[in-house]
Amino acid sequence: MDLLDNLALGFGVAFTFQNLMYALIGCLLGTLIGVLPGIGPVATIAMLLPITFHLPPTASLIMLAGIYYGAAYGGSTTSILVNLPGEASSVVTCLDGYQMARNGRAGAALSISAVGSFFAGTVGTFIIVMFAEPLTRMAQKFGPADYCSLMALGLVAAVILASGSVIKAIAMIFLGLLFGLVGTDVNTGAQRFTFDLPELSDGIDFAPIAMGLFGIAEIVVNLERHLSRGSGTIKVTSLWPTAEEIRRAVPAALRGTFLGAALGVLPGGGPTLGAFSSYTLEKKISKTPQRFGKGAVEGVAAPEAANNAAAQTSFIPMLTLGIPSNAVMALMVGAMIIQGIQPGPEVMTKKPDLFWGMIASMWIGNAMLVIINLPMIGMWVKLLTVPYRFLAPAILLFCCIGAYSLQNSTFHVMQVAAFGVLGYIFVRLGCEGAPFLLGLVLGPQMEEYFRRAMLLSRGDPMIFLERPISLGLLITTALLLILMALPSFKKAREEAFQEEG
Amino acid sequence: MNRFLSKDFLSGLLFIGFGLLALYFGQKLALGTPVRMGPGYVPRMLSLVLLGLGALICIVAAISGGELVEKPKWKPITLVTIGIVCFALLFERAGLLPALVVLILIASLAGEEFKLTEVLGNMVVLAVLCTVVFKVGLGMNVSIVRGIW
Repeated sequence: MDLLDNLALGFGVAFTFQNLMYALIGCLLGTLIGVLPGIGPVATIAMLLPITFHLPPTASLIMLAGIYYGAAYGGSTTSILVNLPGEASSVVTCLDGYQMARNGRAGAALSISAVGSFFAGTVGTFIIVMFAEPLTRMAQKFGPADYCSLMALGLVAAVILASGSVIKAIAMIFLGLLFGLVGTDVNTGAQRFTFDLPELSDGIDFAPIAMGLFGIAEIVVNLERHLSRGSGTIKVTSLWPTAEEIRRAVPAALRGTFLGAALGVLPGGGPTLGAFSSYTLEKKISKTPQRFGKGAVEGVAAPEAANNAAAQTSFIPMLTLGIPSNAVMALMVGAMIIQGIQPGPEVMTKKPDLFWGMIASMWIGNAMLVIINLPMIGMWVKLLTVPYRFLAPAILLFCCIGAYSLQNSTFHVMQVAAFGVLGYIFVRLGCEGAPFLLGLVLGPQMEEYFRRAMLLSRGDPMIFLERPISLGLLITTALLLILMALPSFKKAREEAFQEEG
Repeated sequence: MNRFLSKDFLSGLLFIGFGLLALYFGQKLALGTPVRMGPGYVPRMLSLVLLGLGALICIVAAISGGELVEKPKWKPITLVTIGIVCFALLFERAGLLPALVVLILIASLAGEEFKLTEVLGNMVVLAVLCTVVFKVGLGMNVSIVRGIW
């Protein structure tokens, strides 16, 4: 039983005292930042990236994964208690979660969401274990041309399933690819777009870009909006749901888990899509759809399970193929590259302890969150009452110190400021940051594969159409692009993202 | 006139701007041949595509219009940026404490409410926290006030 051996290896790595501590710290920090209204998982991970860089690779990835789940849990908590979603994927939880809280069922909503998420996380982890090996084996057959096409597919698919204008998102990908080329060209040693700044010769550092684009821009937007508090904090009474609530929640959570897990694997899928689709599904199959929006238990259980299952399974393309499917995974890829690990099929074969350790720690992280979060609800609620005018300067300060600590250089702090301005412009112009980040992360690799493929084919671009794998991937990409141009699909897509606002 | 102030038209201009910048600064990079690409081949390709996409976005926006860009509020973004830049300038020259004081002050001005006593309180709490966490706890090589500690 290979699978059991692998899992045993993983749990052996994850259960060391050091790694358990990092998982715990990650979960706590993630929840801490995640409950702050208006700051979602991408911004949270971006801001906390620097603290993981000085750790060994396994520990740092375990901690980052912990931060990710923590931020997601924190977002659910604020959705239910104060009707402020910390992230897009918990917008749906607000609809019924906050209504449950107003009906005096806040405790039940919180525990259903936590236990549902834990169950979904367990299933999600199991799916990763099942699919990791076959997918990795398949990926090892890929040549440079195939990889190039796979990345093109990944980038295009990520755009379709994201919200907003398609053509702008594609332009953002190209802008990201261009930014990814800054630095020394690996093949010739030529300096590209470095403006004679020695700090840029290794490329623009990934962390300051992410911190500026997501962290700083988000803080500024929140400052503009005069974040208003939900009137009157809600008291959390009993955490126990009633028998009737459990009876309704269990099947909903099950359906949510499987729908979320399936959608999470798709490039560009991820938690938000899972949560929205499963809410719609529950509403459609329910015998009493009029209860939705007024505190229906299913409306909390299903999307919460779905977003957590999707959060887990979105690791699959990243871990096996090295293709990030959304902004969070792009951050993880960036973190891996900084640690000197090239994400892709080699990770599993060459660094099995890291690979399986990380997967095992995902499950541990999920378990920790249920254990630490439910008893600590009171503390998180208190944190919500701290006004934003105290929090914003403090977050900015930690961002600055974090950016400095990357390489003990104030140049990075300046970069954070510059990309903060750029990120703000993007927000104002309605350009999505996620495609930019995906392009940025994949840029250098894609250029490398493209050049290698062209070298192998002696400069004949037909190689991309002659290799069957590559051809199939490119046809899929083209189909997706055509599909997007169809008016009926356009309309459906707009409707699906309407609620997101 | 209004349609030229739509979000789409302006973002098209932004992409064109970046495309032109990349072409200009990349013009000295050797192109090479498709078989042996020089360092300039892929950047040139990408900037041309970006230019094309930017132009397309502009044309579509100019014909069909679109959502107008909101009037920006200058205060938060300007003050936050100035705050971070000041922090960067002061951090190594003057030490953590002065940089922190300036950043918190400027960042607090960016919000809608400003009460001096609160801001001072916030500064004291954060100064103590940062000193304990970064200097004592993590042993970061920074001076709290340059020349003194």
